[in-house]
This record gives sequence, structure tokens and C-alpha cells, in this order.
Amino acid sequence: MIKFVIKRLASGVVVLLAVSVLTFSLLYAAGGSIARNILGDTATAEQVALKEHELGLDQPLFVRYFTWLSNALKGDLGSSWFSSEPVASSLATRVPVTMTMVISAMIIIAILATLIGSAAAVKRGWVDRVVQIGAVIGDSVPGFVIGIFLVTILAIQLKMFPATSTIAPGVPASAWIASMALPVVALIINGVTGGAQQIRSAVIKQFEKDYVRTLRSRGIGEGEILFKHVLRSAAPAGLTVLSLQLIGMLGGVVIIEQIFALPGIGPLAVTATSQSDLPVVMGIVMYTVVVVIVVNLIVDLLNGWLNPKVRVS
Amino acid sequence: MKFGPKKVLMAGLLAAGLALSACSGGATGGSSNAGGPATTALTLGTLQDVRSWDPAQAHVGHGLQPYQAVYDSLILRQPDGKLVPMLATEWTYNADQTALTLKLHDGVTFSDGAAFDADAVKANMDHFKKANGPQMSQLASVQDVKVVDKSTVELDLSVPDPALTYFLSQAAGLMGSPKALETEGIKTEPVGSGPYVMDKASSVKDSVSVFNARDGYWNKDLQKFSKVTFKILADVTARTNALVSGQVDATLLDPKNGKQAEGAGMKLETNQVDWQGLLLMDRDGTKNPALKDLRVRQALNYAFDRKTMLDQILLGQGTVTSQPFGKESGAWVESLENKYNYDPAKAKSLLKEAGYETGMTLDVPSFPGFEPILAVMKQQLSDVGVTLNVGAAVMNTFTADVAAQKFTSMYFSLFQGEPWVAINQMINTNALYNPFKSTSPELKAMIDAVQTGGDNSSKLAQKVNEYVVDEAWFVPLYRVNQMYYHNNKITVTPQIQMAVPAIYNYAPAK
Repeated sequence: MIKFVIKRLASGVVVLLAVSVLTFSLLYAAGGSIARNILGDTATAEQVALKEHELGLDQPLFVRYFTWLSNALKGDLGSSWFSSEPVASSLATRVPVTMTMVISAMIIIAILATLIGSAAAVKRGWVDRVVQIGAVIGDSVPGFVIGIFLVTILAIQLKMFPATSTIAPGVPASAWIASMALPVVALIINGVTGGAQQIRSAVIKQFEKDYVRTLRSRGIGEGEILFKHVLRSAAPAGLTVLSLQLIGMLGGVVIIEQIFALPGIGPLAVTATSQSDLPVVMGIVMYTVVVVIVVNLIVDLLNGWLNPKVRVS
Repeated sequence: MKFGPKKVLMAGLLAAGLALSACSGGATGGSSNAGGPATTALTLGTLQDVRSWDPAQAHVGHGLQPYQAVYDSLILRQPDGKLVPMLATEWTYNADQTALTLKLHDGVTFSDGAAFDADAVKANMDHFKKANGPQMSQLASVQDVKVVDKSTVELDLSVPDPALTYFLSQAAGLMGSPKALETEGIKTEPVGSGPYVMDKASSVKDSVSVFNARDGYWNKDLQKFSKVTFKILADVTARTNALVSGQVDATLLDPKNGKQAEGAGMKLETNQVDWQGLLLMDRDGTKNPALKDLRVRQALNYAFDRKTMLDQILLGQGTVTSQPFGKESGAWVESLENKYNYDPAKAKSLLKEAGYETGMTLDVPSFPGFEPILAVMKQQLSDVGVTLNVGAAVMNTFTADVAAQKFTSMYFSLFQGEPWVAINQMINTNALYNPFKSTSPELKAMIDAVQTGGDNSSKLAQKVNEYVVDEAWFVPLYRVNQMYYHNNKITVTPQIQMAVPAIYNYAPAK
């Protein structure tokens, strides 16, 4: 078990390095006039050259990459070229916002998708049809459209929620919850319908298996069969879908954060990428890769815990 | 366990309940600054956070307002553009416009206790000149800053600069504490002599900046609120929602979202800051020989139905024009306004005279946001036999590409500022948007006259305007309305040539 975790973490480090090299080179290739972007239209050639020197842009790519890497290994991700704010501190204030939202959305998705998916699988008939139709609708309406709709009705018309985030240092937890509510709802719709669909088919498949018939013949109740046996066996499919959704959500959250003006990673990613603010982009990419690696590891461990059959030796 | 209809219903209700319980917490955060009967707090929705609070990194346009909360400028620019005393009580040029003497206000201090005096001005200007900020060129003409006495400084210029006093009301005139200027700290926490002091603990980079009124501020008339908050809302939908739901008191919108704000009873303050149109940059015909012919450039001007384009693209929010200089700039000439009216027949005959009866091609890069207008232009140009080739979208190497003569012409939106600023942006041979460095002895003489014209320079710039319109250097289409909306808790006076007004232009509604 420990060996497995170590192996996975080691391969994670390799992925991290590979992605960092790739991102660094891509940004380098796309760059060109970062110094000019910082200085604006009126800068002279000398000013641009001076700024390039200041940022170390006059050095070869590999020198710059290894400078970045050795600093990053020491925990120093550098500072934004535009705002001079240390990347680590930007991430420290923003990651909690994004992760709070993504994790609460995932928990709600997991609960609702399991409930709805199981209901559809067990009940079939009209319940199933409603879930199926809901899945198509849920999959086809983008989260941000739902977000705009929710703001118009619940924030502007009914004034039940703030239209844009009020999250700031020192605000009470209630403000966090109120600010997060609509974005989380906008985020979960796709996840719930998609997840329910997966769990529905996995549960149906399990119910057709021989062991279910055996359990029934031994007089075990339908509820116990569902929760103790079927859902456990169906879990790997559900978890895999959820982990993919979580990773996809890291992208979807960017637009949602823009619409709700949430001070998360999204707006930072958009600005930094459009400005070619390399240290910030590198910081965000590293954070994203770490999240993906950790999520995959957790899902593998959970799968093993839930279902001994997939447990790794 | 069997799932009867009742249980399914219960499960459904439970699910709905869960979703809703995630939303409880209610409307407490909804109206952060409703604040009692009299409005004492001002919350503004701004497009982006400042990059650095170092005054030398201050920007123009939208970028200036947050700095004004915390930094006083040497000269104050009133809403109508008139320059009046602020930290400098008076200023005079010498006879040949190469030395500007400023008398300074006594008894002003910075929020860290440092005194504002001639040494502080020198420290700021020396810092500004080497800090490599986005507006560094504002002090390009200043060679030396001399401290004459405690309350007098003399700026020695290498060449006359008719825009210098204007610049001293902008980024170059912002005064930071000399004790803080060269420190790292000032990048994230400003230290000025202005009406408000930053509440660093309540501010989050790129999200919200909070300022409280400074006790004992020397210029009480300019301090109208006890608290000023800049809420960063990059997305126009977010700005609209924040405004109509009362989260912000004022913000900048666009024609489409403005309709929604108007429906919610918001008030519009509009003025014109930019012009849009074609820059026919290769007018010497280096890469596109057709553009060398004046008749071709004029034909392009006659080819567009500006009024219809304005109505379609900007819902009529603007004014059609044939000149690149702004109405309040002093260089604006009434007779040039409609010099090139829509006349496709005339365009065709001019093209025929020039030998392009069988057609010619115009290459422009594509811009995010300009796709609709480029599509309309393509169609209108094809009516007179001109093919508009819309190339690849510009990258963030844009300015370098312009400077490298990559584009022979392009559709663009340009700021209409003070004449001398505008000339150095698009007409002078050092201007970024004159990459092919077109000029003539006649034009050079006109530009020189503006530079040395002192108080007359705006008027003298009319000649430059007439020249570039007659020579059809550009194809201006219209001046765009900036749509600044606010609620009825505050009053807002628009500031000329600014989409977002100066911070001094807001007041609690009576």
C-alpha cells in the first residue's frame, strides 16, 4: 500500500517536471514582447531592453528555466512581472476560494448523483425517464448560463444572494456561504446529471449480477443489497467519473469565477495568461497539476477502500 | 427497501433541500454599502486592479483613478480639462518654454509623516524617470529637476513640451512619500498625501481595495466620503449585476449591458474618449503601393456608411466623424467633422482615376472584439471594389509587430487625448502608430509649431488635424460613447477624455 502511494507520488513528480518544461517552453515561444506589454505603447527601445534585462529575458531559455526550477524547489515561485506580488502569496489567497467552491460542489454532486442515479436504477419507469431527460438537458446547458440565470432571478430580482462575491478578509462565514451558493449551484448541475447517469448504469449492471440474486435468495433486504453491496461494487465507475468531473471543474470554474467576481484562481489565470505573466502562469499550472495528481491518488485509494477487489498489492 | 413514488418524491425533496441549504446564509452580504440614510461610503466597480501602487507605475485612463484616492497630483485637472492648482500653487514657463517653475503648497504631509516639499518633488520625479513605468515618457522632456528653495522647483526641459502641465495632473504628477519611494513596500501599500489611506488588511489583490478617509487631510473639499472601495470586476456581466443589485455605486458598462442598467433605474454619464477607424499606416506605399495614392485613401474614406455602422455595431452610442482629434481637445475642427460623407459612387470614381478600377486589396489584422465591424467593413468595401483581407488575430506581440511594420493598415481604437499626446501617438515620426514614419516638410513645420506653441499649441494643432484629414492618413468612423453608470445615492461628473472620472468627481447625492 505504502509502496503504491510512493510509486504514484514519484510518477507525479515526473509529470510535474514534464509539464513545467512544456509550459515554460510554450510561454517562451509565445512571448516576444513581454517587456513592451509591461511598459506600454510609449516605451522606447532602450526602456524595453532595460526591462528585458531586469526580468532576465535576455538570457537563454534553459538558463531561465533552471533559475526558475531551482527557486521553485526552494519554495520561491517568483513574483508577478506585472504586479510584483509574490506568486506564492497570490496562490495562498486564491486557492482556498477556488478549492472551497470545487470541494463543496463535489460533495454535493457525489450525494445527489448517488441518490438520483440509484433511484433511477432501482425504480426505472418514469423516474428513470425523468433522470435520463434531465441528464441530456443538464449536460447541454453550460454552467455559466445557469449562473447568469440564477443571478438574474435570485440575486437581482429576489435579492436573496449577493450578485457578485463579497469575500474579503475578515468577512463572516455567512458571507462566504452566501457568495459561494450561486456559483456552486451553477457548477453542480452538469456534474449531478452526468454523475447520476453513470451511477444509474453501474447500479443497473450490478443488479443483474448473480451475487445480487444470491443475496436476495438469502432474504436480504433490497435496501441492504443496494447500500452495502451494489453501490460498493458500482463505486469505481462513479468515483472515476467524479474525479474526471473535478478536474474538468478546474477549467469550468474559471468562467464562473469571472461572472461572480470570485477572487479565486480563475481571474488570475485569465489575466496572467493573456499578459504572458510567466511566473504567475507557471505557479497556476503547478498548482493545477498537483491537484490533478492528488485527486487521482485519492480516488485510487478510495476505490481500494470501498472495493477490495480493486485493491492494489 | 422499495422505492415507492412517495420515497422518490422525498428523495427529490431532500436533494432540493440539500442544494438550497448550501445557499442559506441569505442576503446579508447583498448590499455591503447601503449604509444608512446619508451615503458616506463609495464603492466603485473597476475593470482591473493596479499593477503596483508605486506612483511611478501609474497609468492613464481607467488606470489613474485608484491612484488619485491616495496620491495628490501637482496639478489638478478639472472635469472640463482646465488645469488648476493642487500641490503646486502656481507654475510658469520661461520665455522659450524650456524651464517650468512650480511653487509648492506649504504644510502638506504624507501619511507616513514625511513632509511634502521641493526635495520630495525632486525625489518623485527622479524616481519616475528611472522606474520604467508605463507612462515613463511623460517626463521624457524633463532633463533636470532643480530644488530652488523649500517650496520651489524648476523643471529644465531638453525640448519644449506643451503637454507637460497636463502630464503633471496625470501619472507624472502623483507624489509619493520620499521615504517610501524606493522601497518594496510601496508596491503593495501606497504612501501618499492624498484624501484616503489604504486599509491594507481589508484589501485583496485583484479583488478589492479599501481606502479610509485620512484624518487632517489638507484639501477637505476633495474628500467627500469616509470610505472608498474599489471592487475589481473584470467581467462586464459581473459589473452590470453588481451595479443593479446595489453592490457597487458606479461602474463602466457597454451599450448592451447599459440597457439593463437603465431598466433598473441607473443613471448614465457619457462622454467620448476614443475614436475608431482605419489607420492607413503604409501611406508611403512601401508594402501596399495603392495606399501611396491620395485618391485611394480618400476613396476609402468615402466608402463607409458610418451612420448605419454606428447604429448597428454600437447601437448608436457614438458620433460619426472624419477627423482623428477629439471634440474637447482644442484641435477639433467643425468643418472636418463630416468631410467624407458616404458616397460610394465618388469612391469608385476616385479609385478609377487612381488606376484601381479593377480592384485593390487592403490587409488588416483581426482583433478580438472587432470581428463584427470588420465583417461590415469587408462588405462595404467590396461594394466599391476593394477587397478587405482580414488576417490572423493580433497576439500579445502586437505593439512590437506594429513597430516592425507588420501591418500596412489596421482597424483600431485610439485614445483622443491632448493634441500633443495624440500627435505623438499617431502622427509624429516617433509615434508608435506611424510605424512607416510618414511625414512631409510641411507637416513637420506644423508639428514644430505645436511643440513650441505654449498656450496656443492646441489651436495650432488644428492645422495638423486639417493636414491629416485632407491627406486621408486615416479613415475615422466614429467617436465612441463611454457609458458610465451610477445609482442615485451619488452624483458623478464626467471627466473629459476619461472613460472613468477622476475620484474627485463623485459626491453623495443631496
